[in-house]
Amino acid sequence: MSVVSSPRLAAGNSIIDFDPASCCLEIEGLTLAYGGSPALRELTLRVPRQRVTAFIGPSGCGKSTLLRALNRLHDLNDEVRLSGSIRLEGQDIHGPEVEVAELRRRVGMVFQAPNPFPMSIYDNVAFGLRLQGGIRKRQLDDIVEWALESAALWDEVKDRLKSSAWALSGGQQQRLVIARTLAVRPEVLLLDEPASALDPISTLKIEELIRNLKSQLTLVLVTHNMQQAARVSDYTAFLQEGELVEYGTTDTLFTNPRLARTENYITGRMA
Amino acid sequence: MIGPGRVRLARGEGPWPWLAAGSVALSLLLLVGLLTLLAVRGMGHFWPSPLTLVTLEDGRQLAGQAVREERLPDSAGRERLYLTANRDLEGDIWTWVAVAEIAEESRPRDLVVLERTRWGSFQGRLLALESDEGRVEGEAAWAALETRLETLATLRAERDRLRDEVVMPLVRRLERDSGAEAELAHANARIRELQARISGGMLLLESVDGRRIEQPLEQVLRAWRPNAMSPPQKLAAWASGVWRFLSEGPRAANTAGGVWPAIFGTVLMVLLMSVVVTPFGVLAAIYLNEVAHQGRLTRLVRIAVRNLAGVPSIVYGVFGLGVFVYGIGGSLDEWFFTDQLPSPTFGTGGLLWASLTLALLTLPVVIVATEEGLARVPDHQREGALALGATRVEMLTRVVLPMTAPAMLTGVILAVARAAGEVAPLMLVGVAKLAPQVPVDGEFPFLHLERKFMHLGYHIYDVAFHGGDVEAALPLVYATALLLVLVILVLNLTAIFLRHHLRARHGALPRR
Amino acid sequence: MIDPLPPRVEPRHQWRRRLRDRLATLLITAGGVGVVVAVLAIGIFLALEVAPLFLDAGSGVGWRELWQPRWQPGTLPGESPLYGLQPLAWGTLKAAFWALLFAVPLALGAAIHSALYMPPRLRSRLKPTLELMEAMPGVVVGFVAGLVLAPWVERHLAGALALVAVLPAGMLLAGLAWTRLPAAWRHRLPQGWAGLWLMPWLALLVATALWLSPWLERLLFGGDLRGWLEAHLGLGYASRNALIVGLAMGFAVIPGIYALAEDALSGVPASLGEGAQALGATRWQSLWKVVLPAAAPGVFSAVMIGAGRAMGETMIVLMASGNTALMTLSPLEGMRSMAATIAIELPEAVPGGVHYRLLFLAALTLFVFTFLVNTLAEVVRARLRHRYRRLGGMA
Repeated sequence: MSVVSSPRLAAGNSIIDFDPASCCLEIEGLTLAYGGSPALRELTLRVPRQRVTAFIGPSGCGKSTLLRALNRLHDLNDEVRLSGSIRLEGQDIHGPEVEVAELRRRVGMVFQAPNPFPMSIYDNVAFGLRLQGGIRKRQLDDIVEWALESAALWDEVKDRLKSSAWALSGGQQQRLVIARTLAVRPEVLLLDEPASALDPISTLKIEELIRNLKSQLTLVLVTHNMQQAARVSDYTAFLQEGELVEYGTTDTLFTNPRLARTENYITGRMA
Repeated sequence: MIGPGRVRLARGEGPWPWLAAGSVALSLLLLVGLLTLLAVRGMGHFWPSPLTLVTLEDGRQLAGQAVREERLPDSAGRERLYLTANRDLEGDIWTWVAVAEIAEESRPRDLVVLERTRWGSFQGRLLALESDEGRVEGEAAWAALETRLETLATLRAERDRLRDEVVMPLVRRLERDSGAEAELAHANARIRELQARISGGMLLLESVDGRRIEQPLEQVLRAWRPNAMSPPQKLAAWASGVWRFLSEGPRAANTAGGVWPAIFGTVLMVLLMSVVVTPFGVLAAIYLNEVAHQGRLTRLVRIAVRNLAGVPSIVYGVFGLGVFVYGIGGSLDEWFFTDQLPSPTFGTGGLLWASLTLALLTLPVVIVATEEGLARVPDHQREGALALGATRVEMLTRVVLPMTAPAMLTGVILAVARAAGEVAPLMLVGVAKLAPQVPVDGEFPFLHLERKFMHLGYHIYDVAFHGGDVEAALPLVYATALLLVLVILVLNLTAIFLRHHLRARHGALPRR
Repeated sequence: MIDPLPPRVEPRHQWRRRLRDRLATLLITAGGVGVVVAVLAIGIFLALEVAPLFLDAGSGVGWRELWQPRWQPGTLPGESPLYGLQPLAWGTLKAAFWALLFAVPLALGAAIHSALYMPPRLRSRLKPTLELMEAMPGVVVGFVAGLVLAPWVERHLAGALALVAVLPAGMLLAGLAWTRLPAAWRHRLPQGWAGLWLMPWLALLVATALWLSPWLERLLFGGDLRGWLEAHLGLGYASRNALIVGLAMGFAVIPGIYALAEDALSGVPASLGEGAQALGATRWQSLWKVVLPAAAPGVFSAVMIGAGRAMGETMIVLMASGNTALMTLSPLEGMRSMAATIAIELPEAVPGGVHYRLLFLAALTLFVFTFLVNTLAEVVRARLRHRYRRLGGMA
């Protein structure tokens, strides 16, 4: 298990830099446009392995767009134009030998609104595994149990695995979605405002889950809620109008931001 | 939305809104009126209606069922139309009687109605029954007739079964090769024996005005005494009448008997059509909604497909005739059925071409319904599946299509309902007024796609407009129309229910 | 903390999944494109079949021949064929005209009532009911029109014509009476439900009018309206005539016009109508001054689609019109429409012959016409939706 080497932050630079060896994702010169209007401009940043990295910024700053670019969900939209590169463990995710379905398995994603499929709880968790094929029933049961336990949902649903996932509460649904994603054993988990549609107690449970998960995988969190970013993340990137403004340890960014823009945003919001 | 709002004082509005309200009432009234007419006349046909013995001022008598009344053309009185049957005696089955001339009306219990294979029905009195066992008269004759008719029915059924299931296949086999002559001779002998047992026996009948006829018993199908029947008996007779209508083939140039071949043809054609239209309609909808580049071209194509639903059905018929029948069918004949030419095999209207034409006609219905269903599946469901590493096809088959299934089903049901009621295109591509052979039988390849078939809708048109005595065929047309409307209503109600159910389940708005 | 992981299941058969995805996408694309092309090929095919008619100089058919006032396909022996499409076009238009004359007021009235006055629950029931009306097979409607209604109207012409005046008068009378009712009664018979409780009243009116009509006929027309029409107006009477066709086909097109017009009317942002009512206008006034002008394109497209349907309807015209290729204005005489002509004559026409191609020309005309009308209506509706969204957004 490699540990992140101490990050270097050059004097006068607001962007933290990591040793490529300790990075899971490397984004370089990423520019992305919907139709004619650019949503991300020349973005370069590295996401360290087995840490929680948060993207914050005002609405429309491009943080969700960036997140969706990390597992190529933009492929669905014909109007998106993209340049620059994204590397996952050193491999360009747009490379010709990369199979997009396999990439998306490695880079799991949890969305803003819980989106369980209209099937049973068990089938929801087993969905991704069954796609891979060649798995025995016993193995499947074990992994489903493990995934639900990892998502802190097992105790609540173990007696009704066969009932519809749509009958769960919003918070349970979101944890089910996380369990479903964990079950295919991703290396990176992207969370797009995972708690914004939930009540405070469910939100706390999700946050605890995020902190627990980082021992196993790399997490990237997009959030509107800055307390949340401060509570759960190790590093925080501040984006504005499609550009990376400041990127540093969460402590530094929130207590001692280098740039006035960051400070304005944080104090404006925190106040 | 403009809701009904609070009940504002309507006084100031004047009476004009009531014209609008009245149009709703009138439209509904038209629908209710049409349905009631069909229901009453269609169902009423099978009810054994009472037979009235009418005595006229001049002493003449007639027995008949009153059909309707009209004003006399010149004088002030009215005249009444009676169904008096007895074509062999009168030359006609209808009699007009001036109401003023009627002296007396009664309903004697001994009047009988006989349904016969020739000359239509007989109405009058039964005097005697002569058979090998001797001659019986009066009440005893009626009892003897009833038992004899039951025996006849079983014998006839046995004979028909033998002919259809044993003799006909043998004959067809003999057309190709020999070897079954002995078997055939045996079966034929058995049929002749049955025929001998069927024939024999004579009824002595008398019409109410005193003319007597001798009626060979083998031509009598059924007999009943409507005025002597109790309501439960009438109900039983009604039910068996409905059953015969549904299960028997037409007789007497389609003016009597049942509509079973037409039901069979309609259902078979619609089934074949849905087998074709469902996969293609769904594929096209998936392509337009999930695969195609969502640009201006796709939008135009989508509008065009929608508009095809508004193109008159006869145009599809013309297309089917030109492309399927003369184009593809003609070529098939030249390639594979040269020995049959010049008489066409596939180069004429038939089941296959009719099904394909109607499939084309109903494609827009299925495409539009499926597209609506696809649009109703929220995008985050698609993204959820993709984010778990599903390929596009896995996402479609495991998440999106199961959620769309009710919408597709709705589309197919609506397509079936539309196809079941369409007649105009069928007139060009393969319907027949009387098909001697059903398109399915025990002979290889069992399903004969090139054969013509009967269709309920066309049956209505044909009997109503090309029959000899329209007045006599009218009750049957009503019954057929009622049947067709019932089938279509049930299909549509199912579709409406499904759609409603679907809306209640996914409250999500369509993406477009 | 997370429990120790179970062993990761190595994905197998990845290439197979990939292949399956490629193949299935290919299949969908091929099927989809194929279906769309096949469906759109209809117009092209019809045009190709018609083309030789004009390209081939030897066919002997030019615009002049087609513009003759006689259609005589020459199916009878000793009859030289005359291919004037004029009477067929005339018949089609005449049938559609009478159908619309009957259907448009009823459908629009119903749309106005249900969009403005009906409680939403009742409205959500009315729509599927009228959909059932649309689902009635043309052959059944045609049968009832041609074999039941036509002879009946022939016998009760005066009564049937009297209904045209009696029914609207009865509706207005009902409205007038309603406003005079005590409030308790008005509450029990709400205006929103008038579409239902007016039905028995209208049925009663129909019965009364028919009962009184012989007496009326005797009083005004000497007991024989048909004879009177013949003598005074020179109108011949055919049992299956344009009025019957109009009534039957009107029945068939009411639901379509209703559905689209209702969509257009109820889609008008509520703020518009309410704004007018806040200024003291009644609901009816705000309808005429504000709602109807805003929804006019939608209502227009509803009528256009109804017209398209009426032009192409085959079985009703075939069974209720008498199919005589006449060119008269009189609503009491029959006609022969293009669709009915195709249905009757095409099975007998020799493939590739002039008659055959002419019938294809008729089909092509119907196709192009309905396709254009529907596209136009679709464009109008799309524009309208856009405008409503803007208006709704501003309010």
